[in-house]
Amino acid sequence: MKTEPLADRVVPRRRDVSFLVDGRPVRAAAGETVAAAMLAEGERCFARRRGEDRALLCNMGTCFECAVTVDDVPLTRTCMTTVRDGMDVRTGE
Amino acid sequence: MSADVYDLVVVGAGPAGLAAAIEAHAQGLRTLVIDEQRAAGGQIFRQPPKEFGEPVRSPVGYPWAADLLTDAADASGIDWWFESTVFGVLDARSTGRDDFDVLVTRPQGARRAHARRLLIATGAYDMPVAIPGWTMPGVLMAGAAQGLLKAQHVRATGPIVLTGSHPLMLIVAAQLVRAGAEVTEVAFARGMPSLRELLAAAPAIPGHVRLLVELAGCVLTLAGHGVRLSTSTVPTAITGTDGVSGVRLAKADRAWRVRGAEREVPARTVVLGYGFHASTELARQVGCSVHWDSAAGGWLVAVDERFETDVPGIFVAGEPTGVSGAEQSRAEGAAAGAAIAADLGRPVDGRRAGAVRRDLRRSRRFAAVVQRMFAPERPGLVSLATADTTICRCEAIPRSDVDGFLRANPHADTVDAVKLACRTGMGPCQGRYCESTVGGAVAAARGGTVPGAARFAAHVPIKPVPLQAYAELFDADGAETP
Amino acid sequence: MRYDAVVIGGGLLGGALTWMLARDGASVLLLEKDQLNQHASGQNAGSLHFQLEYRMVENGWESARTAAAAMPLHLDAAQAWTRLGDELGESVGVVQRGGFMLAETAEQVAVLERKVGLEQEWGLDVALLDGDEARRVAPYLSESVLAAAFCPIEGKAETRIAGPALVRGALRLGAEVRTHTRVTALARDGGGWKVAATGPEGDLDVRADTVMIAAGVWTTEVGALAGAELPTIPLALMMSVTAPVEPFIGHLIQHAGTKLSLKQTLDGTVLIGGGWPAALGRSGMSPDLEARPRLLPDSIVGNARAAIGVVPGTARLPIVRSWTGTTTITPDQLPLVGEVPGCPGMFVATGGSAFTLGPSFARSLCDLAAGRTPLIDLRPYAPDRFGVNA
Repeated sequence: MKTEPLADRVVPRRRDVSFLVDGRPVRAAAGETVAAAMLAEGERCFARRRGEDRALLCNMGTCFECAVTVDDVPLTRTCMTTVRDGMDVRTGE
Repeated sequence: MSADVYDLVVVGAGPAGLAAAIEAHAQGLRTLVIDEQRAAGGQIFRQPPKEFGEPVRSPVGYPWAADLLTDAADASGIDWWFESTVFGVLDARSTGRDDFDVLVTRPQGARRAHARRLLIATGAYDMPVAIPGWTMPGVLMAGAAQGLLKAQHVRATGPIVLTGSHPLMLIVAAQLVRAGAEVTEVAFARGMPSLRELLAAAPAIPGHVRLLVELAGCVLTLAGHGVRLSTSTVPTAITGTDGVSGVRLAKADRAWRVRGAEREVPARTVVLGYGFHASTELARQVGCSVHWDSAAGGWLVAVDERFETDVPGIFVAGEPTGVSGAEQSRAEGAAAGAAIAADLGRPVDGRRAGAVRRDLRRSRRFAAVVQRMFAPERPGLVSLATADTTICRCEAIPRSDVDGFLRANPHADTVDAVKLACRTGMGPCQGRYCESTVGGAVAAARGGTVPGAARFAAHVPIKPVPLQAYAELFDADGAETP
Repeated sequence: MRYDAVVIGGGLLGGALTWMLARDGASVLLLEKDQLNQHASGQNAGSLHFQLEYRMVENGWESARTAAAAMPLHLDAAQAWTRLGDELGESVGVVQRGGFMLAETAEQVAVLERKVGLEQEWGLDVALLDGDEARRVAPYLSESVLAAAFCPIEGKAETRIAGPALVRGALRLGAEVRTHTRVTALARDGGGWKVAATGPEGDLDVRADTVMIAAGVWTTEVGALAGAELPTIPLALMMSVTAPVEPFIGHLIQHAGTKLSLKQTLDGTVLIGGGWPAALGRSGMSPDLEARPRLLPDSIVGNARAAIGVVPGTARLPIVRSWTGTTTITPDQLPLVGEVPGCPGMFVATGGSAFTLGPSFARSLCDLAAGRTPLIDLRPYAPDRFGVNA
């Protein structure tokens, strides 16, 4: 779900990488983590817990609030995953 | 496969792990370093990705960081497994082998590394504090706000309010402000340090002037941007219907319990900065004893003066022995690396050992001061969690479930008993974000202490791994997968 | 202090005994040395399995025939579990939508055929399906499944809550519970027993007409306090649980040719086990029952491969936790249920599948204690059948 972004990029970057979030194309700069790109591109929902939207919390791989299914692999921590062209991210929304 | 037996496997490529690996390698030990991230540095020295094309940078206050990173990279012969998660350690010595089985998931599948000695340098993570509304999008731990900025150059959306108890908040707030973010307030739980406290802290200053100057600079930056610095203030709720729109703050007493009227501050990001908990899960899983030290990061691994735990052959260095900062972590890593080399028969360099001991003494003095000054008032923090507050984020379990279980089961008095019945701690974070709050709830219900409620048992895997990873630990005929 | 009954051990069996005794109008004291439900009762897979398990068929046909003699207990337990939630007034997570025992080779199919025949002799509702029929009912099963024995009353109960729910039921009926309290002595006292224990508030000395040993792996140790020899063999096992996933495994799964139990809980998590061994703690040469058993690499790998082999959809599921626990078995794979040899008024039940059979064990022992004839013929399970007590 896209509304007002939770974060933005300090300097604009060339967003050469394109990946999918719940089927929607999202652009990112090479080297960005999936989580950082999602935040900067206005994505607000990462995981869902008993119907509640959750978003990035720890950014270091301990909390799993950012962990969603990436390329069919469940519980992938997007804060530890670098974007790649064509990556398929499913938040379960 | 004997080719895969390392003299030393280091878990964690932060300052402790790197210092240990450099030391061990210099002594001729065959060394493997395993880290979850793409590159070395841990959290404190986390670098932007290579794709951003930036030079390796030392954070202010740690001028030696860049050198540490390059020394480690230059030590040819150290094996590095990045993007790899150690999910357990099995002690193979009871089956006649002389090593530990280190279970790892890597991008190419699961692997075992055999280690004659193991150094666990798994660092620390932001201390979780459960308050109403803390599960909404827009809440970040202090480490996250800083890491996003430092390593991804992404800044949280303002207005940003930071609330907590740790001086790291001043650094993070200043970094955000300098990056153009809108920070409106930094609210500290404790009151201003008294003159006596400051004088008692003075012996810790030598060698740390740069850090203190940095901190002073942060305060000036914040003042210059009109950021409000408040003390004796705790958050009573994070508010909003579709994500964060504000935070309620209230005056607190010396025990960090609410004693004044609340005021609502608009915010789109709330940063929680209450300090750190030591990451001890791997050490606990393999059987190392731990002890409780509330001001030093909660459950800590017990080590002797050589940094060996009570499991022979397993050493721990850095934050898991007591959260004390990067400098102490480096010194501990160097000392542990030397101790491990000596343990494996390498000669001891007395002069170098003396220098490391001096480093340790100095960093310990500083760390002890910081720990004392910013020690968490845990009962006060636990009291911020109301009945409706989500205590276990993974399973979305409110405090009322935990309190209700404790009322209905008067004989239950451990966090594991609560976990079994209420499911707190059964989610993917494996209790990291709820153990201390559940412990606090048990303590409050039973009139006991947090450590008295014990801790969650740490099991393999200490981070979730796909079942496939288990199946891959051998190939079909029982040999190792290469 | 005097009680009609003292129950030693606060797991599922201890909870069931305490509740049933209290329901029968007895004054009961339950003594648990750690936390309620902390040990095997809270650690096992919660399978409600009534078909012969792999461990009973893997050692040949004679031992399978012997093990099959436990069927009356299983049939009784099946009904007891079905009723338990209603009787207690709170759910214990019972789901009985059927269980499969799978065969992937011709040899295993032959085992299933003989097993089904044997079980049907004992009155179990079980039928042999071919692979395609099985996959129609259970589409998550792999193509490698050649045949499956299906028993519609199999399923699961929720180990996390069952024991404590029984204890809560007992408390409501006036029973007393002491945790962190360890029994140190058992001695005859006229027509009853003197029980000494030590706990956080000091030492405890009580008298009881009846003593129930529900101590799981500590059965032999507790029996020895009364001078009885109750032969049990501790067996350490491992289990794993996944993160929650949308429901896709609707039945209990076991295997005719390997150790496996697989089920999906109401929370959506998948429990994987089946009897893969762990390494018992040791104190010198003897087992250390207080130490946590250690995981064995062969079991980690073997359990995973067995599960993925028949339900490929499990491969990608994240394992959140693996753990070990210790159960007891007896030399002939049949449980011990009955009066402790040489100890009138003292009763014991233990021995493999004790979670599944717990309600049955409890009902039988309560009948014996009250002088009622148990509904089940307990002679095959007599605690003195190994001839060790003169």
